[in-house]
Amino acid sequence: MTVRMAHLCSWLVALLPVVVACFGMDFPSLDRPGAWLNILGRLTGVAALSLLLMAAILSARVPGFDRPFGGLTKLWQTHHQMGAVALLCVLAHPVLLALAAAEVSLSVAVTTLFPPFDHLATWLGWLALIGMVVFLAPSFHFLGEPEYGRWKWLHRLSGPVIVLALIHTFMLSRTMPGYATEMIWTIMAALAVAAVSWRFVISRRAGRLRYRVDAVDRPANNVVELKLLPAGRRQLHYEVGQFVYLVPYDRRLAAGYGEEHPYTLSSSPLEAGLRIAIKDLGDASRAIQHISPDSEVTIEGPYGRFFTDNNPGGELWIAGGIGITPFLARARHLARTGETADIHLVYCVQDEARALFATELAELAETLEGFKLSLHYFYRQGPLTGEFLSAECPDLAQRTAYVCGPLPLNQLAVRIVREAGIPVSRIHTEEFNLI
Amino acid sequence: MKKITFAAFIAFCASIITLLAVDALTPASHAGEANDELPVFTLAEVAEHDTLDSCWMAIRGKVYDFTDYIPEHPTPPAIMEAWCGREATEGMETKGYGRDHTPAAWAMMEPYLIGILAEE
Repeated sequence: MTVRMAHLCSWLVALLPVVVACFGMDFPSLDRPGAWLNILGRLTGVAALSLLLMAAILSARVPGFDRPFGGLTKLWQTHHQMGAVALLCVLAHPVLLALAAAEVSLSVAVTTLFPPFDHLATWLGWLALIGMVVFLAPSFHFLGEPEYGRWKWLHRLSGPVIVLALIHTFMLSRTMPGYATEMIWTIMAALAVAAVSWRFVISRRAGRLRYRVDAVDRPANNVVELKLLPAGRRQLHYEVGQFVYLVPYDRRLAAGYGEEHPYTLSSSPLEAGLRIAIKDLGDASRAIQHISPDSEVTIEGPYGRFFTDNNPGGELWIAGGIGITPFLARARHLARTGETADIHLVYCVQDEARALFATELAELAETLEGFKLSLHYFYRQGPLTGEFLSAECPDLAQRTAYVCGPLPLNQLAVRIVREAGIPVSRIHTEEFNLI
Repeated sequence: MKKITFAAFIAFCASIITLLAVDALTPASHAGEANDELPVFTLAEVAEHDTLDSCWMAIRGKVYDFTDYIPEHPTPPAIMEAWCGREATEGMETKGYGRDHTPAAWAMMEPYLIGILAEE
């Protein structure tokens, strides 16, 4: 199954209750606009709950589950889009029902939205709607760029919101036939509960592997590379270029103690331990620059599927800043396996001081057969251009492109390589702009 | 996506506020409580209208003539026909499977009100 198919399937499953509702629905007097609006109002309610549950199911973060979807970051994009469509549906739902009732009279429209307080079902629906706006507002930047910790904390409101929405639906449900209502919502809710249980209970006990900080290297003044060795019996098995969630347990950290954050592994899977390069980009990653050697961390994963097999035309890697980590990992891995490859790495950085691991990469470029390195400095050469890429890598059109860096560079690089003739199917990006 | 969701949220708030404002500013929507002048019917009189051609129901002490509404009702006519000419509060409150009609559905009955049910 292709990545596209996997995403399409998740959308189809998410919208299945809407299809069932359409089949189970009587369509009375559709010459009346009120009847249409009522049907649309009911269907948007079904779609909102269903998408919300599917988004919860997709957030489980079970290692390996993300692979058919092209990696966890791609899966999150679908999760994010489902959240957006669910929010649009949930906002349309009461408005459409009120407009449908307005056909009878204005007061019926208002009563539809604001019935007497003893009509619990409607008021629980309102609570779910308000809760949904609150927990999704940071995801869609309603109040500007959200702070990661607050966003994550608020996102936990999704649990109570789903419970409220389910009660609201069960109490009012009349859109689908009775047996279908109970069956569909029970199955989806059970899967969502299983997903959330995995995420917040099981994975914390069974999914997190204990590691110890063996060494802390400083490739730049705002970047550390941690070398981790297993502290428990179990070790992480991963593929090159994958990422993990790391939780530090160093009491001396100024921030981020016990908090999980995603980082790409910069080591080869053939190495004894793990290496993780972390740039100071926020409170927790700033604090971790001063993590004590010998302190404990836990690792959960691996996630992601950045590199693909079988690229007969060779590979073009475009890295920006700390986005070098998956490429560094792959180059280190090639050095260990001794494989030959046809790879051209274009490493874009602001200036020489920020060219992380430049010395190691230059050495690898000298020793690895078929591995070429080009450095692009923004301060000297301006933004990355098609001319620069074509001059450095004349056969780029036949290559498979891998891009990892800050979002603006990713977007620019994807545009350039597409213009250069690389089809979308041969362009792979890794983005960590989760919110 | 961010712009669309934010625009939808603002449109939602504006719609709800507009609806409430128009309702508050429309005096007609709060009138119509003059039930005292309505005729009084006994259950026996209601029972004479037990067909789809003339369907009366007694619900919570009031009598309604749903003859014109039956084609609009979401269920097949047979569902409502079973309650024609009867005390139908139970039908309204359970829909036959334990779920009450929505407040909007209750409010929609108002235009079909024709009288008060005589106390036994």
